[in-house]
Amino acid sequence: MSPAAEFIGVTQRFGDFTAVDAIDLEIPEGKLTTLLGPSGCGKTTSLRMLAGYSRPTSGTIRIHGVDSTTLPPEKRGLGMVFQSYALFPHLTVAENVGYGLKLRKLPRAAVQQKVEETLELVGLAHLHKSKPKKLSGGQQQRVALARAIAIRPRLLLLDEPLSNLDARLRVQMRTELRRIQAETGLTVVLVTHDQDEALEMSDLMVLMRGGKIMQTGTPREVFSRPANRFVADFLGYENFLTDQTHTFSTVRPEHLILGAASDGSAALRLDATVVSTAYRGVDLLVTLDAVDGAGETVRLLADVRAGDGAGLTPGTRTTVSAAAAHLVPIAA
Amino acid sequence: MRARPVAASLAVLGYIIMIVPILFVVVTAFSAGRTLRFPPQGFSLTWFEAAVTYDPFMESLVSSLYLAAGATVLALLLGVPATIAIHRGKIPGKGLIEGLFLSPLIVPELVVGLALYQQLMIGLGLDNLSTLLLGHTALLLPYAVRVTGASLALADPAVEEAARGLGAGPVRAFLTVTLPLLRPGLFSAALLGFVTSFNNVPLSLLLQDREFRTLPVTMLDYVQQSYNPRIAAMATLILAATVVVAVIAERTVGFARIFGGINQ
Ligand SMILES: Nc1ncnc2c1ncn2[C@@H]1O[C@H](COP(=O)(O)OP(=O)(O)OP(=O)(O)O)[C@@H](O)[C@H]1O
Ligand SMILES: [Mg+2]
Repeated sequence: MSPAAEFIGVTQRFGDFTAVDAIDLEIPEGKLTTLLGPSGCGKTTSLRMLAGYSRPTSGTIRIHGVDSTTLPPEKRGLGMVFQSYALFPHLTVAENVGYGLKLRKLPRAAVQQKVEETLELVGLAHLHKSKPKKLSGGQQQRVALARAIAIRPRLLLLDEPLSNLDARLRVQMRTELRRIQAETGLTVVLVTHDQDEALEMSDLMVLMRGGKIMQTGTPREVFSRPANRFVADFLGYENFLTDQTHTFSTVRPEHLILGAASDGSAALRLDATVVSTAYRGVDLLVTLDAVDGAGETVRLLADVRAGDGAGLTPGTRTTVSAAAAHLVPIAA
Repeated sequence: MRARPVAASLAVLGYIIMIVPILFVVVTAFSAGRTLRFPPQGFSLTWFEAAVTYDPFMESLVSSLYLAAGATVLALLLGVPATIAIHRGKIPGKGLIEGLFLSPLIVPELVVGLALYQQLMIGLGLDNLSTLLLGHTALLLPYAVRVTGASLALADPAVEEAARGLGAGPVRAFLTVTLPLLRPGLFSAALLGFVTSFNNVPLSLLLQDREFRTLPVTMLDYVQQSYNPRIAAMATLILAATVVVAVIAERTVGFARIFGGINQ
């Protein structure tokens, strides 16, 4: 199937600052793609170019195979949910959701029916007469979503849709968004800086940094095989090692084994000294110093079960090891 | 809240300095005597009757209202598009343009008046009325630009973008979304502009002639010739009207929003 949208060598400059740097990306049809990366890496800028709110300095944006680089937003037929929700404060919930439908010159009864259906889908049917200001953050977010979905957009674009919600609601809404995506079959592009959110929700994950794409893949691919140190770091790999052959590799703290695990299967074995420990209830975070294969002293972080680390105090000498499957080679 | 005795006393002093003279005027307006004196002699409403039946006052009141309304409308018609261009447009030298629109706030009005007198009336031969209208419009432009600008700055630009994304062209998005959001700002700008024009003396003094006089100028002339409570009664009526307008404004928009707009 041809991609729902494509970025081809797309660059966005603001003055002499390059916010998005020659990115190439295909957004698969009917899937949920996340743009993930730290603040300022160009996620919003990319999304805004796709939506038509800003024009690339160079490059091409195709939507369903058609060059849409210079098409104004109102001609793109995309649904966008803004981080601030951007609801129309002077209109009721139903009027907000019906705004795009009215512009499509649908008969009034059809608009009303579509509005009701969409509010039903996001679970807000009972609030259709309220003004946005009267609603909670979570409800406003659903209205913004309903407003974007109501027009049956060719793509649904979400800019950090969950970041203004409280922690519990945010986790609930992940499932909710996935359900809505599955029910509607929409192609979704979601911007986030929360790796848990991206891992949980994505079909395709796109990691960005400094306006460039660092890695693209399914959550499993990206999480288990980070392409480089930045991606690994961003996804919570804390330990970076170099061996005699100057190959770089990384291990997650929870995959470092402390003490004697000498069954010979370990791909990594280093002598280490405990620097400090931090008790966190279920687990114990142990900071260690070790000398890696290249002869460099490295700071390591091991996440062990609280019970297993009982005897560890600063200065304790121990060994660290990791299974071959957990020692991930990365580009420098 | 912590007590701040110095600030509180200053505030009270400020109110006293502002309000006491006004009270004197109001009280004298109800005098039954023939001169403007405090305490007033007796109580009567005769001077109010004298004020509203005095033709120069009433004629100039009508002139002032027309002038204020006209200048307000013109200032908004010029200032609002300019504000939108300044805040939302991609034009170079935004700061300079905004400065230009705000400059009447800092240039002394007498200087503006004199410049208009020389250039428009002497130079171009415009009549008093048009020159006054232009002068007042310039005077009000800062309010139009500042107050609507403040409400525009408070409005989330993403709201208009959302409308565009849903299929509205630029004009429709402006009319159906941005304009309704600007309404309180426009209302405040109009109100402040109207009051500013209505109360203006320096410009009107310089640009007046026998046919077209504003109320404040007429009242100024009046005190120079006759010193009786008619002037106090007229001032009290204006004060009462202003209070009514202020109450309506407070009910519909709220002072916090009106004056919050200026202090941005
Ligand atoms: N209109 C603009 N003018 C100048 N610089 C801009 C503009 N828009 C974005 N930038 C800059 O471009 C960079 C990328 O911005 P962008 O908003 O795309 O980041 P982001 O990945 O969405 O970050 P965040 O997670 O903070 O939202 C930032 O450094 C930002 O300051
Ligand atoms: Mg962003």
